[in-house]
Amino acid sequence: MSGPAQASSASEPSFLHGMGASLLEIAQTAGGMTMLGFKVLHRLITFKFDGLELLKNLERMGVRSIPIVIVTALFTGAIMVLQAAPIVQRFGAQGLLGWGAGFGTLREIAPLLTALMINGRVGANNTAELGTMVVTEQIDALRILAIDPIAFLVAPRSVAMVITLFISTVFADVLALLGAAYAGWGLLGVSPSLFYNGLTSGLLGISDVVNGLVKSIVFGILMALSSCQFGLGVTGGAPGVGRAVNATVVASAAGIFVLDYFVSFTLP
Amino acid sequence: MSASSAAPASADRAPESQALAPPRRERTWLAQVGAGVLGLARTGAELYSIFVRTLYYIGFGRTEKGAIAQQMYEIGNKSLFFLTVVMGFLGMILVYQAGLQNLRILPDLTMLGGTFLELLVRDLAASIGALMLATRVGAGIAAEIGSMVVTEQVDALKMSAADPIDYLVKPRFIASVIMTTVLIVWSAGIATISGVATGYAIFGLSPQTFLNLSLVDVGDLTVGLSKCVAYGAAIPIVSAHSGLTTHGGSEGVGWATTRAVVNSSLAVIILNMIISAIGFVLFP
Repeated sequence: MSGPAQASSASEPSFLHGMGASLLEIAQTAGGMTMLGFKVLHRLITFKFDGLELLKNLERMGVRSIPIVIVTALFTGAIMVLQAAPIVQRFGAQGLLGWGAGFGTLREIAPLLTALMINGRVGANNTAELGTMVVTEQIDALRILAIDPIAFLVAPRSVAMVITLFISTVFADVLALLGAAYAGWGLLGVSPSLFYNGLTSGLLGISDVVNGLVKSIVFGILMALSSCQFGLGVTGGAPGVGRAVNATVVASAAGIFVLDYFVSFTLP
Repeated sequence: MSASSAAPASADRAPESQALAPPRRERTWLAQVGAGVLGLARTGAELYSIFVRTLYYIGFGRTEKGAIAQQMYEIGNKSLFFLTVVMGFLGMILVYQAGLQNLRILPDLTMLGGTFLELLVRDLAASIGALMLATRVGAGIAAEIGSMVVTEQVDALKMSAADPIDYLVKPRFIASVIMTTVLIVWSAGIATISGVATGYAIFGLSPQTFLNLSLVDVGDLTVGLSKCVAYGAAIPIVSAHSGLTTHGGSEGVGWATTRAVVNSSLAVIILNMIISAIGFVLFP
């Protein structure tokens, strides 16, 4: 089993050729996502999308992701405090713990980790579903019935995913701070009220919260478009679906970090 | 079809992929919680069984020439570009945000580099890198093993009296433990370089001030490296479990992949919490 695979990797085209090919592939994916984005936007502006499907997807994507978001957020908050603990003890700055955990959580960690978890659960699942529909020719069947697959499948899913990620991030912000407050109480003896004071003492503003929430919307749009794009482009049966899911998750995760940088940089 | 390998742990997840109305109506709230707990316990037992069998086969299994090298290439070399991009951006984001916040309180940025490096070594390089590997490697392993289950190749292995754990999981496990450690050390280097560049370009910090290793001690290094090994061991076990419990055609492969990504990410976060807490107690 290992023999032929190794041989083919050895006789692959040159490094430069491979780099060019992957660059073209990335450009093709990005272009496809942009086109899909415009198509979805067109359906949304003209109200040609399925409302019932949107509600169903919100239930499946949003409500079903709540346990993961809760676990991730609580643990993340606790980890933030564990990481800040040596610094706090070194400077004896118990009052600043709320501020430190607060800005890290609100601006970066909560949006980022929530997006990564939702990407794994919802984004991958969405690709798998659309990919299965493509492989079993259900999308072609929709076209034959004169049902627009973008209005019926892609647009509701995209909107549902953006809403899911936005609400999950709000949820995760609150829960992560709760986890941080109680971890600080248990580990460092910083009372929750002192933590709350540090959080609201004026060093953190509404702009920090808005910054995180803008990020969540951007990540949501990216995830929605990439998962739909990869799902609709599946070829080659069951292994193809697996490959597409893998490709979506990787592309979205890399895209999330790249966009995170640009959003952090452009917003004050 | 693949009922023999589709272990009972997936029973509690089955309703998710099918129509959800009937079983929900019948079960009471308490029964649902109970079923969830039982499913969780069963999954835990299965993960433990796979882990122990993998360790057994590392000692007493058969040796296939080149299998581990091929998996190391799949897991390591093919993740290199992805991880480099992500960690490069992570270093820039962290230094930019931390510097910005630091300036709100005090205008002195000399400790920024030292604190950044300490955090990177102790936690962020390993954890963020492993979360990325959980998505890339975990999804890959689950998709590959899942396709094998669906196309009955795993059953064929069992028919030939070959344990799929020995043939499929063991090489991936060894390769993942080694390559995760290597990749995370590499990605910490990348994040440091991009952090230095950001500090110099935006805050005017000289690289000499920034590369302040005085805060990084043996404790930080131990915690960071033990995290690498723990994540490297957890990701293939969790994803192989998802792959081996695949059922139901191409849709099943998709579900297995999803589950692998979510569960191995959760495993990384939970292990991070546990190891960080132990590290906090041992190396205050």
